[in-house]
Amino acid sequence: MFASPLAKRMAEQAGLDLGSLKGSGPNGRVVKADIEAAVSGGARKPAAAPAAAAPVAAPTPTLGAAPSADVPGMPAYEEFPNSNMRKVIAKRLTESKQFAPHFYLTIDCEIDELLKVRKELNAKGDDYKLSVNDLVIRATALALKRVPAANASWTEKAIRVYKQVDISVAVAIDEGLITPVIRDAGSKGLKQISAEMKDLATRARERKLKPEEFQGGTFSISNLGMFGIKDFAAVINPPQGAILAVGAGEQRAVVKDGALAIATVMSCTLSVDHRVVDGAIGAEFLAAFKKLVEDPLTMLL
Amino acid sequence: MADTQFDVIVVGGGPGGYVAAIRASQLGLKAAVIEREHLGGICLNWGCIPTKALLRSSEVSHILHNLDAYGFSAKDISYDLAKVVQRSRKIAKQLSGGVAHLLKKNKVTVVDGHGKLAGTQGGLRKVDVSKDGKPVGSYTAKHVILATGARARTLPGLEPDGKTIVTYREAMVPETMPKSLLVIGSGAIGMEFASFHHDMGCAVTVIEVVDRILPAEDEEISAFAHKQFAKQGMTIKTGVKVAKLEKGGKGARATIEVAGKSETIEVEKVILAVGIVGNVEDIGLEGTKVKVEKTHVVINEWMETGEPGVYAIGDLAGPPWLAHKASHEGVICVERIAGVKGLHPLDVRKIPGCTYCRPQIASVGLSEAKAKAAGYDIRVGRFPFVGNGKAIALGESEGMVKTVFDKKTGELLGAHMIGAEVTELIQGYGVAMTLETTEAELMHAVFPHPTLSEMMHESVLDAYGRAIHF
Repeated sequence: MFASPLAKRMAEQAGLDLGSLKGSGPNGRVVKADIEAAVSGGARKPAAAPAAAAPVAAPTPTLGAAPSADVPGMPAYEEFPNSNMRKVIAKRLTESKQFAPHFYLTIDCEIDELLKVRKELNAKGDDYKLSVNDLVIRATALALKRVPAANASWTEKAIRVYKQVDISVAVAIDEGLITPVIRDAGSKGLKQISAEMKDLATRARERKLKPEEFQGGTFSISNLGMFGIKDFAAVINPPQGAILAVGAGEQRAVVKDGALAIATVMSCTLSVDHRVVDGAIGAEFLAAFKKLVEDPLTMLL
Repeated sequence: MADTQFDVIVVGGGPGGYVAAIRASQLGLKAAVIEREHLGGICLNWGCIPTKALLRSSEVSHILHNLDAYGFSAKDISYDLAKVVQRSRKIAKQLSGGVAHLLKKNKVTVVDGHGKLAGTQGGLRKVDVSKDGKPVGSYTAKHVILATGARARTLPGLEPDGKTIVTYREAMVPETMPKSLLVIGSGAIGMEFASFHHDMGCAVTVIEVVDRILPAEDEEISAFAHKQFAKQGMTIKTGVKVAKLEKGGKGARATIEVAGKSETIEVEKVILAVGIVGNVEDIGLEGTKVKVEKTHVVINEWMETGEPGVYAIGDLAGPPWLAHKASHEGVICVERIAGVKGLHPLDVRKIPGCTYCRPQIASVGLSEAKAKAAGYDIRVGRFPFVGNGKAIALGESEGMVKTVFDKKTGELLGAHMIGAEVTELIQGYGVAMTLETTEAELMHAVFPHPTLSEMMHESVLDAYGRAIHF
């Protein structure tokens, strides 16, 4: 790599791929100024929370520290160099799985009522169209307000319980994923959440988000319901303490009052950092969430 | 009539101007230099070079008076000041002739006279040239680079008379060596003259308005230098205000205020070294968009002034007041004009500064205090001359090499040296900084033994707790 020693070290520290940078030094040499420009100019636009709050004091794991793929007997392949976003995702999620002891809690929510309310609300206006995900964001935010202990981060010295609910929502884009943040979602109405989400998701796909729009966030939601995924467990987005994985709403046979019945059921799995949140708190949060989802009028209050 | 139309006209033939003109010619531009006095400017004729010649004489004097240390003895050591000065002048003249030759070789037209901007003519910039007040010609060019330099600053109440109270210019050609000298100002110029006079047997007092000498240097270096000069027998006073400076007594009498108390210093001669002012007068700036602030022309990173087609470089365009800075600006300015690709503005932080007093002082980059103020978490390395074999063999065991690193990235932020020959060493760190090396490469580099340069290695090692020889 044609880069100055200082540039190489700074790139490593910033998790940047030197190969993707254009060098401004003599004969295209990558120099310090290029790294500074890349870091401040957003070449490093990951699904990232600010590093300042990162609790990890231990050495950062190297990227792609996986066992070598160079084993005999592999078929022919094509290589797609890792983008900076890919590298940051790799780094942060590896970090998460290495340092945050995950555990998982799953709950089923019946959403027939929620779907009905959504339909009714959407029929009442032309200037908005609520999605199930908008309602899930609202329910999550309200549940976190009721159980603030689940809206928290681990640090070496203390557990930080946030006074505001900022929800990061995972959005898939071409190169990976990014998590735009709905700030103070607990005090925003459905219409506002819906409008903000639409705008953030659109701009996320166009790679036009400002760093402050995808950095930060106190809790994440990842929804793969639209792809028909029944249930899954997500990796926590550090330094957050938990992430809610939302599956598809599907008709299932349920037992009600001793009899078989059909209901639209959505399974949600909470991944929790056990350093921050214990099982009982996680369960309390999920119960509050389920109550709001199954009695959606309460979340309009 | 010779050519009067050029691509680039440079006003001023100092180290900024003549270098700019040669580079312009190399790039295929038709260039002219207008110089009113000496090719090579102050640097070559009245600054950098002749002082180095004088200081070489004073170094010889110092050695002669310490011959015993090397196993020699000599009687009746004396010098002829006229010869010392003559040697200095001869060297300046030789080099000025060299510049003339270089300009000729590079097909740069040299115009003898005083250049002045004179509006535009046919879409080109016009420069009028006069000699002894009489017009001698008009020249035009698309681009005019002002490189008229600077001169000694004088302060109200501190006016030179050219004999008893002088500036660098008269101090360069003394007729007699005074028995006592007062140097006002302890920057590079002040300390070099102080050192010269001291080593030639004159009783020297240096006064400085701020609380330390060599205020542009790292504080630790200033303190080290202060101690060294005091040990040599020089009188140094800091935090001093000059209340009055008048002729009288042995020559001149200065009334100074130190810590609220008034003192009188009587000396044969006074050298004023209180800074410089830009030569902004009578170069046709009136009525143009060229902006002047505190006697210096305001430029952007490409040496452009507010007036299209008019550029300024060197001392005229502001600090640091260094010949090599002027030359570098000249080159960048001309390359920009010629459309050279991949240019970078000059990084002021990577310009080394050298002072040739005894002990010598050299530095590049941020001082420890400035690095801290800039928010860096730093590592500092130091290595003393007394730990270096070559230094001891030379009989020069007083000195220090200090390095400042960014703890996070290992970037070399600054290097500060004091002691024998450090002015020849500093560029090692200058290259390292320009190549953006970290402490790792500096540690890997092999430094030859026995040399003073080994201290540069050891200082880096010390910053990381690994110095071997101390």
